[in-house]
Amino acid sequence: MPDDLVLPEVDPASGIGAGVVEEAEEFESFLRWSFIASQLAALAVLVVYARRGTRFIRESAAGRIGTGMLLGMLGLALVWLSQLPFQLLELWWLRRHDVWKAGYLDWFVESWALLAAEFLFICLWLLITMALAARFRSSWWLPAVPVFAGLALLFAFLYPYLVVDQRAAPLELKRDVARFAERQDTEPVKVVVEETSEFTSAPNAYATGLGPSRRIFLWDTLLDGRFDDGQVRVVLAHELAHHAREHIWKGIAWLALLLLPLLGGVAWLTGRRGGLYQPRAVPLALLALVAGSLLLSPLDNAVSRELEAEADWIALETTRDPAAARALFRDLAREALEDPTPPHWAYQALATHPSIAKRIAMATAWERRKE
Amino acid sequence: MRVTVSDDFRRSRLTVFFRLLLAIPHFIWWVLWSIAAVLIAIANWFATLVTGRSPDALHRFLTTYIRYSTHLFAYVYLAANPYPAFVPAQGYPVDVEFGEREPQRRWVTALRLFLAVPALLLAAAFEGSGFGGWSGYPGDGYGGDEKSFAWGGGGVLLVVAVLGWFVSVARARMPFGFRDVVVYGLRFLAELASYLFVLTERYPNVNPAATPVSAPSDHPVRLTVTDDLRRSRLTVFFRLLLAIPNFVWLFLWTIAVIFAAFVTWVATLITGRPPETLHRFLSAYVRYSTHLSAYVGLTANPFPGFTGTAGSYPVDPKLPAPEKQHRLVTGFRIFLALPALLVSSALHGLLVVSAFLGWFASLALGRMPRSLREAQAYALRYSAQVSSYVLLVTDRYAFSAPVLEAPEQLPGPEPPPGETPAVA
Repeated sequence: MPDDLVLPEVDPASGIGAGVVEEAEEFESFLRWSFIASQLAALAVLVVYARRGTRFIRESAAGRIGTGMLLGMLGLALVWLSQLPFQLLELWWLRRHDVWKAGYLDWFVESWALLAAEFLFICLWLLITMALAARFRSSWWLPAVPVFAGLALLFAFLYPYLVVDQRAAPLELKRDVARFAERQDTEPVKVVVEETSEFTSAPNAYATGLGPSRRIFLWDTLLDGRFDDGQVRVVLAHELAHHAREHIWKGIAWLALLLLPLLGGVAWLTGRRGGLYQPRAVPLALLALVAGSLLLSPLDNAVSRELEAEADWIALETTRDPAAARALFRDLAREALEDPTPPHWAYQALATHPSIAKRIAMATAWERRKE
Repeated sequence: MRVTVSDDFRRSRLTVFFRLLLAIPHFIWWVLWSIAAVLIAIANWFATLVTGRSPDALHRFLTTYIRYSTHLFAYVYLAANPYPAFVPAQGYPVDVEFGEREPQRRWVTALRLFLAVPALLLAAAFEGSGFGGWSGYPGDGYGGDEKSFAWGGGGVLLVVAVLGWFVSVARARMPFGFRDVVVYGLRFLAELASYLFVLTERYPNVNPAATPVSAPSDHPVRLTVTDDLRRSRLTVFFRLLLAIPNFVWLFLWTIAVIFAAFVTWVATLITGRPPETLHRFLSAYVRYSTHLSAYVGLTANPFPGFTGTAGSYPVDPKLPAPEKQHRLVTGFRIFLALPALLVSSALHGLLVVSAFLGWFASLALGRMPRSLREAQAYALRYSAQVSSYVLLVTDRYAFSAPVLEAPEQLPGPEPPPGETPAVA
């Protein structure tokens, strides 16, 4: 992306429709405030848990690490309970706007399964940190950073194999990717379609995998006829750019960098309770971890927006079709009810992608530079 | 109501061989009687609702029906040998005695069918999903017509009866343990019928200790229970999810155990004694899987450790040190274990149903009902014995009797104040 790129002013309602923009603003505003309220509730629960959670030590006959795992899981269980009303409210909102199709029971089962996955994650996290704390005491966070970065790499590598509802993409999409790979000076990447239309109408795509497991996943909601071939090609070029520019590696490198202050903070705070070697420090560690992640998320999101903007630019260079790109972003705003110009504070704190207005402006800027 | 047992374990090979066919006249008679019993049970319900006490004539008819049913199914399930009378007489080896009619609270009577649902679920664990002579207790709401006699899933009674049939034909004796399991099930089902027919408001008790039989046993695998019945509602609510890391660990451990057991099997075949290190490893696995089952099934409250350390959990199997094992038994161990595995699998149903009911009870009360906990402890003890046998921790066959005589005081963790350790 050129350093001297200046994005022109664009009218967000142009091509989208003032009514849709208004609806998208209302839609996202509700979700934004619900998110903030849910995070505050989670933090409140974790503050109480950090003060009183140690009483659950008596519910364990497991050793040091096993007890730590129990406390970690219970903390997440309480957070899950505190999030239920917000999640229900959000689900109701999504269903009201026809963005989410699945019923309440499906949602509950999925939420339960997600909690199970969180339990596994926190157990693994505690197994590693508490084992390292036994060896390195208060300096456990230093060796923990490369360990977690390594695990993130492993997960990124394995993720494409863990997606259940996937099928091969149509042949023309594979041909497009091969053509684009040549233009982006990279190896062709496998394209697959993930079947999500049973649950949602929102369109989406993502790049994942490392080395031989590199994949581009397109949700089938993107291929249901609402988006024309040119728009889908822009998406493909954008996702391929993530692979071409090694964004997954860069993302993990950023993660490792952000883990340093995050884990260092956890180690410093839990030091008051004997360090993470002790299970009684786990409730406080959980609070520190969640609060620290929230504090660092604006920085993390800024990095993510930067990488997404770069992928957008490369997609324009690859497809040389700014009209299709503009149409895509407008349709995304319409179909996913995405606010084209979110409030500045929300954009800085929460957005992982450039706003729709900025993305449309970038397409226009590219077009003007080529004229 | 109480069950009396005077059976001497002896069985006539001929009558055992043809037992089901011999029982056909009884089945016909029993179905006819059941139809009448349903109608009379409904009348009894109305009468008890109005007067607060079961009318004498109806009470007599229904108690006679339950006695007859008990005799018949004790015969069918091989808990007794003599051919039962069509009108029950005193002195049958497995009999039911009823006390005087009792006053009953009207609201308990009114809601009887709904209140009986947990007991009916437990009854399903005893009966299985198909072969349901006992599910023919009319009015129990989940069976009772002739269709339920079709072969179906294996409840405890069916599995034990089928296995007991082979043993009785071969040895002319019903094994101690099998007979006692059948009596345990019949006692519970008779109590359930009394409750459903509004003869008593005393709830059916699934605690094995309420069965008037106990078998002598010096089996080296026993279960020490020091649990105080208290349950943490939060950990109960999330119990299955909380156990996920344990499930992962158990899975990995099981893979290692398969190899270790094979090596132990070869070594025991050669030396006649399992190597000490492998025996320790396999014993820890048996203990750990029991701890985990107890945790998931709500038999105990604390989160279990991952190492299967002896004495580290309130429901803890006591396992023997390595001892000399018969080479022939070792050689055919896996085949010999099949009957015990079948019984264990059937008892697992009892464990699951008890856990399901215990989940609601523990959430509501913050305590696990003792009767459910004891039923689970029985299933866990048997399961630990089977695992120990399969994994060559011992060559003593699993003993299925629900109640053991003179439990010895085993060393283990200190019980909480006011709680006496129980040994199943």
